[in-house]
Amino acid sequence: MTGKRVTFSNTWLAGLLIAPQLILVFTFFYWPAGEALYWSFTLEPPFGGENQWVGWQNFKTVFEDPLYWNSVRISVIFALSSTVLAMGIALVLAVFVDRRLPGYQAYRFMYFWPYAVAAPAVGLAFRFIFAPDAGFVSALNQWYPGIWNPARNGVDAVILITLANAWSMVAYNFIFFLAGLQSIPRTLTEAAAMDGSGVLRRIADIQFPLLAPTFFFLVVINLTDSFVNSFGIVDITTAGGPARATDLMVYKIYSDGFKGKDYSLAAAQSLVLMLLVISLTFIQFRFVERRVHYS
Amino acid sequence: MARNRLSIAALALAATIGAAQAQTPRVKFEYWYGLTGQLGEVMAEHCKRFNESQTKFEAVCVGQGGYDRAEQNTIAAFRARQHPTIVQIYDAGTVNFMLSQATYNAVQFAKDFKMKIDWNDYFPGIRSYYATSKGEMWSFPYNSSSAVMYWNRAEWAKIGRTEPPATWEQFERDMRALKAAGHSCAYAFDFDTWQSMEQLSAIHNQPIATMGNGYEGLNAELVINQGIFPRHVANLKKWQDEGLARVQTAQTGKTIVQAFADGTCASMLSSIANHGVVGDTGRPGLDWAVAMIPVYEGFTRHNSLVGGASLWVMANKSKEEYEAAAAFLDFVLTPAEVKWMPNVTGYIPITVPAFNQMRDEGFYAQPKFKGREVSMQSLTFTPPTKNTSGIRLGNFTSIRSEVRSELEAIMNGQKTVEVGLNDAVARSNQILRRFEQTFRGRTLP
Amino acid sequence: MVERTPILNILTHLILLTGLIMLLVPLWIVFVASTHDFRTVNTVPMTLWPGNQMIENYTLAWNQSGFGPKMLNSFIVAIGVTAGKIAIAAISAYSIVYFNYRFRSLFFWMIFVTLMLPLEVRIVPTYAVAANVLRPYQELLDLVGLTSLVNTVAGIRLALPEWSMLNSYTGLILPLIATATGTFLYRQFYLTVPDELAEAAKMDGAGPLRFFWDVLLPLSKTNMAALGTIMFVYAWNQYLWPLLIVTDIANYGTAVMQLQRIVPGPLFGEPPRWHIAMAGTLMVMTPPLLVVIFMQRWFVRGLVSTDK
Repeated sequence: MTGKRVTFSNTWLAGLLIAPQLILVFTFFYWPAGEALYWSFTLEPPFGGENQWVGWQNFKTVFEDPLYWNSVRISVIFALSSTVLAMGIALVLAVFVDRRLPGYQAYRFMYFWPYAVAAPAVGLAFRFIFAPDAGFVSALNQWYPGIWNPARNGVDAVILITLANAWSMVAYNFIFFLAGLQSIPRTLTEAAAMDGSGVLRRIADIQFPLLAPTFFFLVVINLTDSFVNSFGIVDITTAGGPARATDLMVYKIYSDGFKGKDYSLAAAQSLVLMLLVISLTFIQFRFVERRVHYS
Repeated sequence: MARNRLSIAALALAATIGAAQAQTPRVKFEYWYGLTGQLGEVMAEHCKRFNESQTKFEAVCVGQGGYDRAEQNTIAAFRARQHPTIVQIYDAGTVNFMLSQATYNAVQFAKDFKMKIDWNDYFPGIRSYYATSKGEMWSFPYNSSSAVMYWNRAEWAKIGRTEPPATWEQFERDMRALKAAGHSCAYAFDFDTWQSMEQLSAIHNQPIATMGNGYEGLNAELVINQGIFPRHVANLKKWQDEGLARVQTAQTGKTIVQAFADGTCASMLSSIANHGVVGDTGRPGLDWAVAMIPVYEGFTRHNSLVGGASLWVMANKSKEEYEAAAAFLDFVLTPAEVKWMPNVTGYIPITVPAFNQMRDEGFYAQPKFKGREVSMQSLTFTPPTKNTSGIRLGNFTSIRSEVRSELEAIMNGQKTVEVGLNDAVARSNQILRRFEQTFRGRTLP
Repeated sequence: MVERTPILNILTHLILLTGLIMLLVPLWIVFVASTHDFRTVNTVPMTLWPGNQMIENYTLAWNQSGFGPKMLNSFIVAIGVTAGKIAIAAISAYSIVYFNYRFRSLFFWMIFVTLMLPLEVRIVPTYAVAANVLRPYQELLDLVGLTSLVNTVAGIRLALPEWSMLNSYTGLILPLIATATGTFLYRQFYLTVPDELAEAAKMDGAGPLRFFWDVLLPLSKTNMAALGTIMFVYAWNQYLWPLLIVTDIANYGTAVMQLQRIVPGPLFGEPPRWHIAMAGTLMVMTPPLLVVIFMQRWFVRGLVSTDK
């Protein structure tokens, strides 16, 4: 399943080749993660020292906390809406770039730039642009005072981080969509055009169905990414507020653990998040596997 | 030519080696501070002054990018045995450090390393905030401030008043008049609990938590849903809804200080440490002053609380590092240095002798520093009582953020004052109980 | 295309232009804000045209944050991560795909799972490991009882030396290499390589190392470029980890770390010096942007060819 028909059988060499990666992963991932797992069943004092075994107490505290479920709900909304937004925009842009009208290379070239921008930089830029008292969007408030205020209005704040997140993911989606479209044989669309089907017809009938694998692959990547890698954006734009409106799961883990110094509670939450992401990835993995068999 | 250059290089090398041998290497120790920006530069400057004042020791000073980061990083570093010798920890982190078993308590340290310190030099309100329940100092108070009201004199003049409001009732009438005079923001506030909850409760002599605000044990419970605080929060909400007061935070684009300094809002409660900031960055011609925080009618004013940070000496360092640290702490506490700080920041002099000297030298008469003495009056208004000594609650930073979130919810209209504050108390008590459970077997000194 | 569709063509350009504006406006605003003085940048509504303070602001931001040495550090770290990741990913994926042994599925999954728990949520224990990298092995030795065995037999305490990675390039680089991205990408690439190549190589009597070096590596060039770009951007943009493990900022501070120093500190009511903050932001985002722009062609091809 994971390998080739033709393989080598030098086991020592194979072990040697994979050893550096395994050592790194063990040292910097499994050991710390294992420690976190242990903490999730104990009460770990911030400065170290003796900890107490408390069984499932931390998990109970987490699951009985309405604010935790609030955080889960926001994370799901955030992940779904930024995925829809980022993929929707990327798909439209890719489809139209793929028409290859004059100048399309320039668009393709520049659509890609946001990929390079660091999350804290995105956060900082969006915080400035969408600040209600200064920056770009504040002009809205001059026309309708109080219409836009992510610092006061939770919905506005969620919109803000969703936009920032979607913005930074469009580029990645765009590449994959465009590549998917370009792999569709020209002859296929041209033949359809000869038969008299219009541009939009062809998009609906030929291009979209053939894009389906790319589409599903991206859905999972986008969702996972929104769940797991949104820390930088939230930290600089809203810091989880107002009134916990943007307290995403990954941010809550960080603020409970590192800021609140309750390592055990944070560890329990990371375990839950990890299980969630693993199940998402599992779906993706099965899917990617199938696609490999196709090619 | 090439030969020439080579010999010059050799000479230079020999010279540097010679110089290095002539000078005994300085004993280095690490000092982490939390302040950032302009104040962070002052911290770095303070280290430089120490390093230039003598040749035996060298303070290696590292800004951690924020008070909370300084605390978090110190904890992580201590676990990894890579911690600094001295660390600047903000007021709210005091309990965590007292219970940590990771520090060298200040009284013992001063004795062991023969420091010249006289603990009675500190202002009583500063001492009580950082002392144990038995009155022992475990850390060295450092940059200190208290909260005051900043008010725009020119705006108040427009409504025919020359005096700042002394009571909240008067303040409300003034705000109404300001609004009637066309001012859209008479008062700027944010969700920082330090001014509105902690300072306000202290000057009204009201408890924030049971067990003497937590000094008497880890089983304290928050009581901010009773007494003066709910009344004040309800007022804030009312004033906000009437268009008298406005929320200003970094996320809205301008903090209260910025909104006050550029003239958008006519008043605010803030740390005296911002006195210099307002002076430096205020709109040209801004006519402003500071006053003590108003008191509700029917209450007697008590002393306000100190805010800022203290210096903790961490455990498990070498004798040499401790000697260097002791020299640094002694240096920082010399009257000259204590007096230097208020000159370059808005912080107050932390010792009585330094304050008296400054007053006699006419420091507070200088136009730039005029009004700074208000915070000293406020801080020393009465001797500290059980409710005004300080706050000693486990994981107080988390409690602050719980209260803050509920305040946000109340001001946004998602919750009533009663529900919001009850929720804040319930959640804070959970934090306190978890803290108590985590530190089972250790007692608060 | 075959037919003439003038209206649709106009629409296409409109849409593409809108997309361009949406994606580039944030960058433009950052740029504009970085060219004005304090007062202009804080006026509402904000002007959308650059001002004349560019040089002043950039000089100030550059000097204030000491970007010279910081950028150099960022480069060292980014290149270290890129090179290390490519090397390790290429060989570990090779082991998984081209060798047949019992644990390869397990190993693959072990590596793969690391994608799922970001550094932010396990930062404290990871920091503790970085402070003494050999501690896990020491504890393992203690755990399996080897330490006490040696102690009773030889009478010496088996103690591994302490090795701290705080304040070092290795500390900034190695934990970032310990992720699965590259291995996964390389694995996908190897799976697309036709089996005939390996067969032919075997028939020619080439060993696994020869085959890897002479055949696979040259084939994986675009893949390498793609992975290189991803890793460069990823490493350059690291924020929380360097912030934690670097206390010796003068020597090991990176450029992105400096971002949090130029954000005006809200606690102390500093003025919103957005113009300086934006100048710094723009300077920090430029190097990865340039890398992406220059590598774009190979990058896109590499990513996409492995995915199919």
